[in-house]
Amino acid sequence: MQRRYRSIPDLKIHETARALSFSDAALACKLTAMGFLPGARVEMVRQSPFGNAFYVKVDGVRMALRREEAASILLEI
Amino acid sequence: MSGSQRLPRIGVIGNPNSGKSTVFNHLTGLRQKTGNFPGVTVDIKEGNLRLPGGAEVTLVDFPGTYSLYPTSSDEKLVSAVLSDQKNEFFPDAVVYIADVNHLEKHLLLLTQLLDLQLPLVLALNMADTAEELGIKVNVSRLSEKLGIPVVFVSGRTGDNMSRLVSEIEKLIPAIGNISRKAFFEMDAAEKQVAEAVRLNLGENNPYRALQLAHHFEWLPFLHDSDRATLATIVQTKNFVSLRAQVEETLARYDLFTPIVEDSIQQPQQFPDTPTDRIDAVLTHRIGGPFVFIAVMLVIFQAIFDWSAYPMDWIDNGFAELNTWLQQTLPNHWTTELLTDGILAGLAGILVFVPQITLLFLLITILEEVGYMARVVFLFDRIMRRFGMNGRSVVALIGGSACAVPAIMSSRTIGNWKERLITVLVTPFISCSARIPVYLVLIGMAVPRVRIGGIIGAQTLVFGAMYALGVAAALFAGWTLKRYLKTREPSFLAIELPVYRMPDWKNVGLTVWEKVSAFIIGAGKIILIVSIALWALSRFGPGDAIERAATEAKQEAAASGLSEAETEDLTAQKKLEASWAGQMGKAFEPVIRPLGYDWKIGIGLLTSFAAREVFTGTLAILYNMGSSEADINDRSENEAKATLREKMQRETFSDTGQPVYTFATTLSLLVFYALAMQCMSTLAVVRRETGSWKWALWQFLSMTGLAWLAAWLVQIIFA
Repeated sequence: MQRRYRSIPDLKIHETARALSFSDAALACKLTAMGFLPGARVEMVRQSPFGNAFYVKVDGVRMALRREEAASILLEI
Repeated sequence: MSGSQRLPRIGVIGNPNSGKSTVFNHLTGLRQKTGNFPGVTVDIKEGNLRLPGGAEVTLVDFPGTYSLYPTSSDEKLVSAVLSDQKNEFFPDAVVYIADVNHLEKHLLLLTQLLDLQLPLVLALNMADTAEELGIKVNVSRLSEKLGIPVVFVSGRTGDNMSRLVSEIEKLIPAIGNISRKAFFEMDAAEKQVAEAVRLNLGENNPYRALQLAHHFEWLPFLHDSDRATLATIVQTKNFVSLRAQVEETLARYDLFTPIVEDSIQQPQQFPDTPTDRIDAVLTHRIGGPFVFIAVMLVIFQAIFDWSAYPMDWIDNGFAELNTWLQQTLPNHWTTELLTDGILAGLAGILVFVPQITLLFLLITILEEVGYMARVVFLFDRIMRRFGMNGRSVVALIGGSACAVPAIMSSRTIGNWKERLITVLVTPFISCSARIPVYLVLIGMAVPRVRIGGIIGAQTLVFGAMYALGVAAALFAGWTLKRYLKTREPSFLAIELPVYRMPDWKNVGLTVWEKVSAFIIGAGKIILIVSIALWALSRFGPGDAIERAATEAKQEAAASGLSEAETEDLTAQKKLEASWAGQMGKAFEPVIRPLGYDWKIGIGLLTSFAAREVFTGTLAILYNMGSSEADINDRSENEAKATLREKMQRETFSDTGQPVYTFATTLSLLVFYALAMQCMSTLAVVRRETGSWKWALWQFLSMTGLAWLAAWLVQIIFA
């Protein structure tokens, strides 16, 4: 069965996908201010040592996100 | 404007990592001072700049922020100042700094400032790296589209700074009479809100009126009545702040992205850069934490080894000056005040300067090159377990130098609860002031042997004291996490900047700032305490001191003591009779369960102002230097050894048992590791948390924990 959506934690290392929307309003406010916009190209770079954060590249800009933060960013399938 | 003649104020504003401070430092150099912004506890830096035409302006360096919709207390400050035209830091005009390499992400805040109708100049920073990356900007087109002057600069090389200065000069006549077309067109609901705010609060700028409606809950300058009015407006107009913020932000991007695309040429693909290769190691899942531990080891090596030399020079320098003064000046109590009070206090402050400078130098370099952001990423998960945030690691590392500036660095933490916990637990980390106390006590309790022929037993205990501090900080965080409640969201979301060589001017200024925060913040208190301590031990109630002196002489004559021994005995009896002696004795019952006598009691009491006073106090209490010929002629180690010998010979006056047993010394070590004994830190905690409540709470719980742990150690090891 086709999944209805996926989010950043579903990305494999070095996989890239386009961000569609943010499901958490407070975080959306912070991320958009930082220049992370819907439509941005997100590349998964690596996980943190203790597994709960991700190192990603958003349109070439490096950024660290927690798992829950990353999970609130929905991606194009 | 206030009555006094005020220079035009130019705000230096921009995103974090835009190189804003570099430009600010370039323009103002050392002519900076740090002001405190009331209400929001963030320091603002100011510096004057003389314009080519002769007029002077004040440049105000604002904390880096992405938007007027803030998520940390640094960022809140920017919104608070810009929402309040009466604020003393409100800028008359703004120099906006943007990283030209990320222009498509750095213009959001600029467009918000455009709508506040502030005179603006846009400085495109990092021109030097843009050239290398092959980025080309059509400055005149960008300037035309945005309707403001645009200058290409490089904060690092100083290129084009004079152009920027002359553009700043051209802004002055425009102050107060800018009227541009709004960059962002508000929707109908927002217009209604802005209009209602204008009618009720008299805020004529529609965008600033809208800001009031967004931020009324926390803006510090609003009166309660205004706050109530704004709450009503927001409610009756069904204004949903968060949603409006996101929509406005996206609308602004839609407006300025085409402008950027139209005036800038970028290479399509960024190649694999050195930053990626470095991060493959430094943020590696397994390797990353090991690199961090190695970095920390180098830092501690620096504190102990490298700073020992300048510390010895300062120590010896003061000792020589003291001897010289004592020999030269008349034998009067004012001389004693100068040598034993003021100079001893100054020495107590300055001796820490090399250590603190070196530590902050290394920490600042790590921050400047971009490593600290990676540390935040690596340790966010662990710190969250203990009620903190990855950003707390930076404060905790700083705490090993001095808790005062370290606590101030917690301002980047957005979540109130995580920030409070960081502030409350940072003083558990062993700071430089504890080192001299540890050195004396460990020297007494632990033999100089090598375990397994490799590592010294003393070194091991020293390490254990640091570990105890870290463990206590984490334990306290873990406990507090359960009891503090907040509904504020907690974010990691942090930019990991490109690695670059540190800008040495920036490093120098930052270190200077932190070291002077120590000298002025902590130093003042140490000096006062040193003088008070001298007075308390020099004077006593009524003629108690004179009587004690007479008694001592009689006793000495009766038992046929030598001249030196008589002097020793007299000094001790006098001290016992002094105010300090009385206080120590009154305090003794509280600490007797821990195995301490009244002399240690005085040491503890004086340490409550600053820990390092302890060794100095004991040196006075055990009366070193009078009978031991001239202590200043000996080496530092001998002096420490003398204090140690004296301490080992101490006995309780009532039972005759030795005071410094193994258990008592260990117990004292634990007490010093855990107790809150620094008035300067308490003052900073009060400032950062906004009330004495948390400072008092921290003082009581840390000291209570220290007492309990010290008591347990005494019971277990006695």
